[in-house]
Amino acid sequence: MASQATFEQRRRSAGLFLVAPAIVVLLAILGYPILESMMLALQRVQLNAGEIQRSFIGLGNFQRLLADETFRHAALNTLYFSVAEVVLVVVLGFGVALLLNHPLGRPGFFRILLVVPWAIAPVANAVLWKWILNANYGVLNGILQSLGLIDYYQVWLGSPFSALNFLLLVDVWKSVPFVALLLLAGLQRVPSILYRAAYMDGASRLQAFRHVTLPSMRGAVAIAVVLQTIWSLRVFDLVFVLTRGGPADATVLLNFLAYRVTFNFLDIGYGAAIANVIFVLTLLLAILYIRLVRPAEGAAR
Amino acid sequence: MTSVPPRLPPAIELRRVAKSFGTVQVCRDVDLAIETGEFVTLLGPSGCGKTTTLNMVAGLEDSTSGDILLAGRRVNELSPVERDVAMVFQNYALYPHMTVAENIGFTLRMRGMKRAEIAARVTAIAASLELSHVLERLPAQLSGGQQQRVAIGRALVREPRIFLFDEPFSNLDAALRVKMRAEVKQLHQRLGVTSLFVTHDQEEAMSISDRIAVMNRGRVEQFGTPEEIYARPATRYVASFIGNPQIELMPGTVEAADGRPAVRLGAQVLPLPGDGRFRPGQKVEIGIRPEHVRLGAGNLSASVRLVQPVGPLSHVVLDWDGGSLTATLPGFSRLQPGERVSAAISPDDMLVFDQETGLRL
Amino acid sequence: MSYALYRRGGPGLRLVTIVGLVLFVVWSAAPVVWLILSSLLQQKALIARPPDLSPANLTLDNFVTVVASAAALGRGILNSLIVALFSTAVALALGAPAAYALARLSVPRANAIAFLVLATQMLPSIAIAIPLFLVISRIGLIDNVFSLGVVYLSFNLPIVIWILRGFFLGIPAGLEKAAAIDGAGVLRTFWHIVLPISIPPLGAAAVFAFVEAWNEFFFALILTRQSAQTVPLVIAAFAGQYQTVFGQMMAAALISVVPVIVLAVVFRDWIVRGFADGMMKG
Ligand SMILES: Nc1ncnc2c1ncn2[C@@H]1O[C@H](COP(=O)(O)OP(=O)(O)O)[C@@H](O)[C@H]1O
Ligand SMILES: [Mg+2]
Repeated sequence: MASQATFEQRRRSAGLFLVAPAIVVLLAILGYPILESMMLALQRVQLNAGEIQRSFIGLGNFQRLLADETFRHAALNTLYFSVAEVVLVVVLGFGVALLLNHPLGRPGFFRILLVVPWAIAPVANAVLWKWILNANYGVLNGILQSLGLIDYYQVWLGSPFSALNFLLLVDVWKSVPFVALLLLAGLQRVPSILYRAAYMDGASRLQAFRHVTLPSMRGAVAIAVVLQTIWSLRVFDLVFVLTRGGPADATVLLNFLAYRVTFNFLDIGYGAAIANVIFVLTLLLAILYIRLVRPAEGAAR
Repeated sequence: MTSVPPRLPPAIELRRVAKSFGTVQVCRDVDLAIETGEFVTLLGPSGCGKTTTLNMVAGLEDSTSGDILLAGRRVNELSPVERDVAMVFQNYALYPHMTVAENIGFTLRMRGMKRAEIAARVTAIAASLELSHVLERLPAQLSGGQQQRVAIGRALVREPRIFLFDEPFSNLDAALRVKMRAEVKQLHQRLGVTSLFVTHDQEEAMSISDRIAVMNRGRVEQFGTPEEIYARPATRYVASFIGNPQIELMPGTVEAADGRPAVRLGAQVLPLPGDGRFRPGQKVEIGIRPEHVRLGAGNLSASVRLVQPVGPLSHVVLDWDGGSLTATLPGFSRLQPGERVSAAISPDDMLVFDQETGLRL
Repeated sequence: MSYALYRRGGPGLRLVTIVGLVLFVVWSAAPVVWLILSSLLQQKALIARPPDLSPANLTLDNFVTVVASAAALGRGILNSLIVALFSTAVALALGAPAAYALARLSVPRANAIAFLVLATQMLPSIAIAIPLFLVISRIGLIDNVFSLGVVYLSFNLPIVIWILRGFFLGIPAGLEKAAAIDGAGVLRTFWHIVLPISIPPLGAAAVFAFVEAWNEFFFALILTRQSAQTVPLVIAAFAGQYQTVFGQMMAAALISVVPVIVLAVVFRDWIVRGFADGMMKG
């Protein structure tokens, strides 16, 4: 079976053979929907007696976005929600990772606690917190009243500001564990010889943290930030179950707005335009982060 | 004259083989011809392209240009199996999830050999390598020396045409390294399989090889027997790479003293062999090996800077006005730092290189 | 100060760590504990102010009622199981070879392909939901667990590829070379050498994909009607319908999350290592 290909040629063709099915499947599932969604974003789509009528309106949907008060409101909500979530999750996650990296935090019990919130379905999580935050019988009200922190039971999801922040809290609760696990893995990768060297050089523990831990964690933190950004912009189930966007659209995030415009208002072209904005935004952010991290990693080597 | 038997083609032949990774040229115009049954070593510093050359012979990497021939047949497009080569890797590359027996037998399994026959061959090989009692262990449960033996067993079990070794002993401690070196040499003497061995350790190369190819920056600088390489290095580079302590190299200019060639080093003038190889005014570099510096006699006056006994020998570093010089003396030297001594170097022991080309004159 | 003490920290740091760990445990466990407790308490205990936690109120009635009355929950669990197993199995079968090729087989533009694969994860589900819905309803496969499972490949394939690619990048090249010398071609090297030493990351990828599929809500909302409804839809519907029967609501939620929690707890170290490796090597 003397083949006519060289070693590397054989590897390359085997590689193409192995990678092709996955790529073909991904393209088959995503290729047409992506193109179609971009086309929809450029069209006015109307449903008339069950018939879909589409007319090309160029960038009309995107122009509409600029003037749309609801969209601006949702964009601001999303901005607040995502920034706050990324910051809170990464900071808290780092803190938890440091705790679990300490000899006292090594027992496996702590890591079990971390995977539980991660594994809970967002829907189940939302249902659980809806009950915890219940205005009439919620346990949060019960505890706070027993502690004397509130006089009356509060409608936590009743006012715009409070609702958005509780939405944030619930999602942070669910998101911290995984980021903590990621950062913990990062911490465990810092070569212990570096700490030895810092010790020999007379660095205080704080200085060792500042000059050994933090620089070594750049990559891990950057990955955590990228992923958490992507995940924050994807939040949907929680809004759907917990608040349905209310009160007064205070918890309408872009993703939920796209859903509502598409499926409740049946304004399909406009919904597609919003979805495309989210996609481009996420992609730009991800590329930006990757750009920010890459040169730093190169210099560190 | 006796009749010359028809010459067999070389077991391994490389013809102007070159290799680039992108724009980086790693091997240039490598020419080698290795006879059947020979044990040849590629010797050179880390990063000079030894592994790459070996991989091209094995069929694990494509050459960018040039021809690779095994027993006279061009094999550039053949897979490693089709080339019938076995290889021992630097970090052993044992399969971590397979037992010793499975590791050794894997190649036979890949050829579709019957289980019973595999077991028989593995058992025989294991016995010859003193591995019989660890056959059911995983590589992680073995000592470094045992892992090494498994790697060799994996190569042996196939009874290949050619053995390739890529720095097989570099992970072993010094004593084990010397022991394994002797074992491999005996193995070669017993089986006579053509072997190509890679190392950066010149002592290892000298002690194990029929011939050595000294590589530098992707080129073969010299290909010869250990003795040729040591006594008659083709280039300054080869001279300085081989020998411990290193050869001492000093720049100088050829002069004519009383009609005989000589070289001026600092304030000293040393005579050169008068065989017409040198032109007055020529810029040269003089190489002097430590064992060629004779102390106690001669007109070269020097002072002792450092004495380093290594057991059977002592290395004595001298300062003189031409620079520094190392001499090797038998036993434990009683010389003291600062002591003045006189030294002599025979003209015939001096290696003279062209300063510009680095070639030996 | 000895090095051991230096690394462990003095009493100050110890105290901070202990306080931190306690806060962490309370913060992580409290909601889950309340989920479990609520599912075990009678309605009257739950609507007391504050909730009445006396042991006399403990009951399994909520579970009994939920299991008996909500046939939808059983069907949902079965559907979720089928969808998750199907999409996990296919994602592994297609994703593992692809990840290997992208990591090690000098596929042209491998890094660009890998990035594009990851970029699909930045696509909001809503962007592709409408076209997917239109296509799937045209071929009459709305409300079908297998069409839902195929759609789930859109996120499970990229997850599997990313986790495994990171691991494969770290496999010593010597193993593949040894296999080539031993006479294994690329496919047999993959099968006999690479896969067997990749059990933990394969497990991590599998658990990850399974959990994602089990928990997915949005596509299921749009692409199913009745017979193919998965667990998250059942729970969401249940919560809307029986808003005030809190104990039963929590019992249903608990039943729906237990399988994946067990999976995650059992395989936690694989998940962490597999995912961290995958992301950090890319
Ligand atoms: N796959 C590769 N891609 C790019 N450069 C490589 C690759 N493999 C080896 N090199 C480079 O080629 C040179 C020679 O490598 P190698 O043959 O491994 O040297 P040696 O075995 O003599 O130490 C080195 O500079 C190395 O960095
Ligand atoms: Mg090498």
